[in-house]
Amino acid sequence: MKEKMIMGELLKTVLHDRHASLGAAMVDFGGWHMPLQYRTGIVEEHLATRKSAGLFDVSHMGRFIVRGAGSLAFLQHTLSNNAAALDAGFAQYTMIPNMQGGALDDAYLYRFTPDEYLLVVNAANREADWRYFQEMLTGFPETKLEDASGSMAMISLQGPSSRAILEELVGPGGLPEPLKNALCTASFQGKTLRIARTGYTGEPLGFEFFLAAADAPWLWDLFLEKGAVPVGLGARDTLRLEAGLPLFGHELGKDPDGSEIPVFACPLARFAVSLSPLKENFIGRERLALQWEALKRIQDEDYRSLEDLPRRIMPFALRGKGIARTGFRVFQGVKEIGFVTSGTMVPYWKTEGEGLSTRFTGEREMRAIGLMLIDSRLKKDDPVEIEIRGNRVDAVVVPWHLRSDAPPYAMPILPRPTEVSGKAISGAGREKAFDLLAKAVRNTLWRQTECINLIPSEQSVSPMVRRLTAMDPACRYAEHRAIRSYYDADVFYYQGTDFIESVEILLKEEMIRYLGGRKVEPRVISGQMANAVVFSALVDYLNRGDRKKEPRRIGTVLNNHLIRGGHLSAQPMGALHNFVRIDPRTEKPAVVNFPVLPENPYRIDVEATRRVIDEHRPELIIFGKSMVLHREPVREIRDFLREQKIESVVLYDMAHVLGLVGPYFQEPFIEGADLVTGSTHKTFFGPQRGIVAGNWREEEKQYALWESVENRTFPGSVSNHHLGTLLGLLMAAYEMNCFRETYQQAVIRNAKAFAGALHDVGLRVAGDPAISFTETHQVIVEVEYAKAVEAARRLEENNIICNYQAAPDEEGFTAAGALRLGVQEMTRFGMGPEDFRTLAQYIRDVVVDGRSVREEVAAFRKRFLAMRYCFAEDMFSDLMEKLHRLI
Amino acid sequence: MKKIEEIVLPEELRYSADHEWVGQEGDRARVGITDYAQDQLGDIVYVELPTVGKHIAQGAVFATVESVKSVSECFMPLSGEITAVNGPLSDDPVLLNQSPYGEGWMVLVKPDDPAAVSKLLTAEAYRARLKGDA
Repeated sequence: MKEKMIMGELLKTVLHDRHASLGAAMVDFGGWHMPLQYRTGIVEEHLATRKSAGLFDVSHMGRFIVRGAGSLAFLQHTLSNNAAALDAGFAQYTMIPNMQGGALDDAYLYRFTPDEYLLVVNAANREADWRYFQEMLTGFPETKLEDASGSMAMISLQGPSSRAILEELVGPGGLPEPLKNALCTASFQGKTLRIARTGYTGEPLGFEFFLAAADAPWLWDLFLEKGAVPVGLGARDTLRLEAGLPLFGHELGKDPDGSEIPVFACPLARFAVSLSPLKENFIGRERLALQWEALKRIQDEDYRSLEDLPRRIMPFALRGKGIARTGFRVFQGVKEIGFVTSGTMVPYWKTEGEGLSTRFTGEREMRAIGLMLIDSRLKKDDPVEIEIRGNRVDAVVVPWHLRSDAPPYAMPILPRPTEVSGKAISGAGREKAFDLLAKAVRNTLWRQTECINLIPSEQSVSPMVRRLTAMDPACRYAEHRAIRSYYDADVFYYQGTDFIESVEILLKEEMIRYLGGRKVEPRVISGQMANAVVFSALVDYLNRGDRKKEPRRIGTVLNNHLIRGGHLSAQPMGALHNFVRIDPRTEKPAVVNFPVLPENPYRIDVEATRRVIDEHRPELIIFGKSMVLHREPVREIRDFLREQKIESVVLYDMAHVLGLVGPYFQEPFIEGADLVTGSTHKTFFGPQRGIVAGNWREEEKQYALWESVENRTFPGSVSNHHLGTLLGLLMAAYEMNCFRETYQQAVIRNAKAFAGALHDVGLRVAGDPAISFTETHQVIVEVEYAKAVEAARRLEENNIICNYQAAPDEEGFTAAGALRLGVQEMTRFGMGPEDFRTLAQYIRDVVVDGRSVREEVAAFRKRFLAMRYCFAEDMFSDLMEKLHRLI
Repeated sequence: MKKIEEIVLPEELRYSADHEWVGQEGDRARVGITDYAQDQLGDIVYVELPTVGKHIAQGAVFATVESVKSVSECFMPLSGEITAVNGPLSDDPVLLNQSPYGEGWMVLVKPDDPAAVSKLLTAEAYRARLKGDA
């Protein structure tokens, strides 16, 4: 055994004494005397970060403040990312590129306030980076650069418990928004803390803190008191390696032969490099552009530009015995294809179960993994061999070692053979048919007679609607289109369609009667399609003047943010995907969000929205969301648009609240919406379909947009528009127009009573208590952070069906801490305020007390089996019987 | 990390300057790494042992011990033939940390020179060297 110790004049962070008193093994790292590990060791520190929270002193990193005129131009010129896209309150990963397309360093750029940037660089490069920036500054005489590395400390808290620990200190309102790279400034015990949702561990929950150096020991001690585990550089390295994050000197910089590793060899480069025109001719642009082109080609398996990006960083998992270390050679057959850039053995928590039921077993395991710089032509799952002390050991290219998309945990991903799940039923066709029938009977009886159904986006249909949905039109086609030569009369393409034609005409009339407005398009078969049709129609309308050129997309869109209840169908990741332009400044879809009230994130801040509209001039404003407690301020915004003469199309996606249209909730067209979309099966009484309605008169300019809506429905989106449910929807519309008064009042009364009762039994109900928490059919109950998935599962075991919901401050659905409940379906089955109070107690029994109430709930449901707010079956018993026999 | 005084060094064993221990068992010698070595290495995650029957000269590498951070070679404290290796170490390298003188032993050797063991450092001499190192 040989041990080497290198000690010289090393720098110490402000927390150096803390490390010593915690018994840390100290090492030289980039000229700093830093903790390699504490008493428990690297493995324990790594595992503690993944299971609870790790605490890191990262004060050795360089911190430069950039301010003054020309700051942005300076950053755009010297960094690879688009600093112009960085709004105050966010951070971005970036490279400090050189002219050869390699990296002088990688860095994080933070913008806590509008007038100042904070750039964090690697400890070992701090002095070189500083000298480089000083040289570059000569071209930017008014830009000031300050080295704050000494005056400001930096601490990192990472892992699933980090959020709770931080909340204990600064309160729930003191955290940055639950978005990657979000920032905020909080103060606690009279000290100012700058907080960032950033980190170097791959943890979905992790925070980095900037504070006055003198305050660092105070914060460090507080975190330790709250249970954070101190983590040294050893585990910091294994954590980042498991997360696949590059380390300068390994995956970035120069390779062992002294040649530049192209920046785009790193998978993260696509997020760290921008070729936006706003960056003009920044350092390294030319070479980076070539690398980017090469990368795009490589993805298409086109290797013509391979010389610009001959090797890429790829993660590997070792299949054979041993550990592949930095520098070890990688082979494919006899050919040497690259080398290991980082490699070690890392620990992980074993898991069991599938999907949302995945759990840590408490057992631990080790795995030999790493990153390598190898021939760009290799792909995931390709086998390679790594030479370990003269022996070739099998390894495989893997896409990643860890995933962070199921907060609050980072989950280890192991290469495993793909298995076909054995859920298929064996046996002959007859047995399969029997099995399906029996299960469908069981499922229907359970949901219709034993369960309390509280999913706000669902509805049971009346017996009449249900039967009509299965009648002959369900097997037919009835494509039709208005023909100008016949004064826009609808022409049907098939025979035998007179009945369905009359149904469609009647349905339009009923829906216009219900919604107000002037036009209805009932052929869309879902709410999501309704929105997609509107977006497609708007693009069509915007380009109506010149159809020979490439069509332009919708300009800026204003909508509700996904984390504040906005629905996917109004998001760029959903139905808006191909229809909204990319903002040249942010290089992201040009979507801005409704600001919300600080004290109530469920309510739009009208005053702030006016400012957003004034600044961004959205071409389309989309009201409506799927977590909805309040009316949308349609009238206020319409008035503002009118005053300011801003021509935005106002769409109200009423998906959830379509059945509440009227004086007890909202009247969208009276309040000023141009278009209403919705799904017909949430608060409305229909089978599952969508609807689009408009309010323009034929003589108005924008009527052309309505014509586009019709065209983008047919032939744009549907050929056959599912005639069985169209027939059912007409009956549902009759029911709604007949019973809306009493139904809508009952729904809102029940929701308020339910919310109040849930509050009274000791549950935390979201919203404004002054209005009994809700103005819709929905109630949001806050259970506990990341515990709602489990709560919803337990409620289901007790015959209460609802859905878990991420509240506005939570990171994603797997971290959901809330339940979303809707009263509309059970209101239809006759439940009243008193019954909802009883139900509130059952929910408390299950969620808080862990009691089993399965049988009690099933018995309770038996009191509510007859559908209300529909025509009594015995009124037409002969016809109903005939319909039934015809099914 | 342990202080030198905290390092466990059984009196009945002999030690090499390269941090191996040797225990005489009849005409065989049992070899492992010292408490000091395992403590310095930290979590040991991989061990590579020689094949039985191989003759290894004093000072030559007989095993490789890897922690998360480092790869360390173990040098033969005396010349001889490997007559047995501790198989369970391959699956459970952490035994080297938990029990360096017990379940964490590494190899059994038939020394060329039966008197070689007695020429190695005593616990006292080894500890003195550690203090000099530290």
